[in-house]
Amino acid sequence: MSRFLALVAGALVAAAAGGDWRVRLVDVAAEAGLTQPSVYGGLERKRFIIETNGAGVAWIDYDNDGWSDALVLSGTQLQEGTRQERAWPPGEAPSNRLYRNQHDGSFRDVTDVAGLRRTGWASAVCAGDYDNDGWLDLFITYHGQNVLYRNRAGRFEDVTAAAGLATSGTRWGSGCSFLDYDRDGKLDLFVANYLVLDLKTAQEPGEGVNCLWKGIPVNCGPKGLKTDTSLLYHNEGDGRFRDVSEASGVASVKGRYAMTAAGFDADADGWIDIYVACDSTAAILFRNNRDGSFTDVAVASGAALSEFGNEQAGMGLGVLDFDGDGRLDLFKTHFADDIPALYRNLGRGQFEDVAMAAGLAVQNRFVQWGAGGADLDNDGRADLFYATGNVYPEIEALLPHYPHRSPKIVFRNLGDSRFDDVSDSSGPGASAAHSSRGVAFGDYDNDGDLDVLVMNMNERPSLLRNDYSGGNGWLSLQLEGTKSNRAGIGATVVVTAGGRREARAVLSQSSYYSHDDLRLHFGLGLASAAERVEVRWPSGAVDVLQVVPAGRPRTVREGESPALPAMRPTS
Amino acid sequence: MRAALLLLLVACSPAAAQAEDAKAAVAQARTLLAQDRPRDAIAALQGQDASDPAVALALGVAHYHAGDAVEAVALLRPAVDALPEGSTERREAAQVLGLALYLAGRIADAVPWLEATRAWAGSNLELLQILGTAYIETRQPDKAREVLARAYEVAPETAPAHLLAAQMMIRLQQEALAQAELEKAVAKDPRLPQAHFLLGQLALFRGRFEEATTFTRKELELNPGNNLAWSQLGDIFVRQQKWDQAVAALQRSLWLSPFYSAPYILLGRAYTKQGQLAPAEAMLRRAIEYDPNNKQAHYLLGQLLQQAGRIEEARKELEIAERLQGAAGR
Repeated sequence: MSRFLALVAGALVAAAAGGDWRVRLVDVAAEAGLTQPSVYGGLERKRFIIETNGAGVAWIDYDNDGWSDALVLSGTQLQEGTRQERAWPPGEAPSNRLYRNQHDGSFRDVTDVAGLRRTGWASAVCAGDYDNDGWLDLFITYHGQNVLYRNRAGRFEDVTAAAGLATSGTRWGSGCSFLDYDRDGKLDLFVANYLVLDLKTAQEPGEGVNCLWKGIPVNCGPKGLKTDTSLLYHNEGDGRFRDVSEASGVASVKGRYAMTAAGFDADADGWIDIYVACDSTAAILFRNNRDGSFTDVAVASGAALSEFGNEQAGMGLGVLDFDGDGRLDLFKTHFADDIPALYRNLGRGQFEDVAMAAGLAVQNRFVQWGAGGADLDNDGRADLFYATGNVYPEIEALLPHYPHRSPKIVFRNLGDSRFDDVSDSSGPGASAAHSSRGVAFGDYDNDGDLDVLVMNMNERPSLLRNDYSGGNGWLSLQLEGTKSNRAGIGATVVVTAGGRREARAVLSQSSYYSHDDLRLHFGLGLASAAERVEVRWPSGAVDVLQVVPAGRPRTVREGESPALPAMRPTS
Repeated sequence: MRAALLLLLVACSPAAAQAEDAKAAVAQARTLLAQDRPRDAIAALQGQDASDPAVALALGVAHYHAGDAVEAVALLRPAVDALPEGSTERREAAQVLGLALYLAGRIADAVPWLEATRAWAGSNLELLQILGTAYIETRQPDKAREVLARAYEVAPETAPAHLLAAQMMIRLQQEALAQAELEKAVAKDPRLPQAHFLLGQLALFRGRFEEATTFTRKELELNPGNNLAWSQLGDIFVRQQKWDQAVAALQRSLWLSPFYSAPYILLGRAYTKQGQLAPAEAMLRRAIEYDPNNKQAHYLLGQLLQQAGRIEEARKELEIAERLQGAAGR
């Protein structure tokens, strides 16, 4: 680049970094037709931990029409005064909901026609095209039997048993992720389990030292409850999965309350690793040993504990590149009285928690959940967003500092590895108080900025339309694997524009038990094009595209890109 | 003659024998409890009728001392009402029941029994401490202050009493209550030592670094020899990445008192971030010397050694740090 161009690029960076925060999040769920509440346990009192954790949401283009559809998970309730699931009158049972995008800002409830009606304690959703047929499949975890839904051209079929995923006994499925750990081009499946909970014998609030919070009787756990182990299933390629949890070493990691799970290449060695946020225990980073096995290296890698080596209550998880060095960093949310962790990727599989240095310590009142590094103002720098909501509705009457319903938190990326809390100036959708859990990011209205879907406990979801009013450009990339899995899940994309770099990963799950729009969204600042787009596929292949114009969604096919000039595979 | 025969019959009846057996078992259990052998006491009472208040009392006390507060509560709650009003046994049952309920986490239920115990054991320090704690956890700050003031021999409406209550509230993570008590303390005595230090600590906990600095400096104005305040100031600077200022504050803390691990850990962090690995390692090893089970020191040392390429040593330190992780999160 000439000296002149470099100066221009520098000026563009400065222009994009400064100025007003022009992001305004407006909750349009009701008028858009996202009206059904996610029922989840008691309203003002929660007797058992099963009622507290809530569930995820997803942006999925289930019908391949180029528009993101909304999936909102739901739980159920206990019969008043009992330990039994509530028996619902006909037609009133809560269910997961799928809302089809009508292309005009509104949605239509297609749960039944899509075959997704189901009542139970749903936890997480992860998405991936496990059979490489071009239709996005779903896996939904439950307290009880998890469910694999095969997408047959827009209708989902429960293929759990046929796929070999039926389980005996009751486990509490939590995070999950489709990922191709052995580079065979087929998506395997990782499933975390939160803890062992037997409702028949569970303690009531206040019935023990693990059933108090600041002296107030609350639902018990997770401390004091038995931990469980995670599962890894190998995709056999014939529609069936084989349990390789023991052989892979995944089941050998014990003593964790595992929650959100994300599969991505954490150490940039070309093989997909698995990061698991864990409640009240050290996080797990399963390093892919490239031989079908994994080793937990989280503590040694610096991504398990806080800056000073303390365990934290990991709930949500964002995978982002906040400092623009082309490496994937981690953002993990925690309980009240704690701050999120922001793990900067130092390279060579090493991380460092820089949350305090980044300015994130200014908020610690709220329990933090669904999270992500979303470039809300398209300036080329990932901002931080997380939803909040307490798990003990009864405490706010005694401790007003810890409200049951609380706002979304938004941190603007200032470009110098520091963030500014702009929650109060991010619009009414951000400041509205809910007890929120799952969050998914995606551009549902295809207007070039990221919108946010939020699961709220015992309320309808929030659809936070981003009414960004600035002039920054954007790039939206949909990947299509040929040697890799069809949806490109696990790929890392690095975009260079206006002198800046930003990496993003195609994830089956992140945030909190949720799934983002598979189209990767990059803000370009004032640049009119990305100078370079590098795609590192889970197969190990790398494609490089030069000069990709802003303002249009693009599909990048592995190994070829006839629509994009100057693309050249580099390996 | 008939009466004597009747007495003989009663004495020889199975019920009487059972009562004698129970009495002997209770006596044996009491002896074992006095020898600090609660498990053996429980064994000695095995097979006895727990609906007998004397048996239930001994068994409840034994379970309490064995660390099984829930079982102690289950035994003592019915026993209290069955024991004679005003008897020593009833008092003991009420006292241990209050303590057991507290240990079982049923703090609100414990309070009336602990309050009742105060009538005959009002100067018992352990009771006052636990009752004060229970009042804090049930958010009764005035009662907590009154009881704790008595335990620590200060007048309840004075600035020191507010400070004392605040210190206990911070220990119990009742930050909002503590903040209110500290504000009352400094209003009554603006030059009260420790109050500004604790206000600084609360501000630091809330991530309000400027406020934390102001309060901590105020404390140091009152008492520049407060090594903990210098350490706290260093902590604030470390969190703000102000390494030079952090090192200066932490060194002062150590010159005043070299036997406290926190400043060494913070210095280790500050030196590491400045790329001075040798002094950082020395500081962290010193911290471990004074506080061998400090997980933070082991973790930061492990990270430093890893940074220095001393992988095997790093691995050992990180393993220790992981092993030392305990109750955290929520």
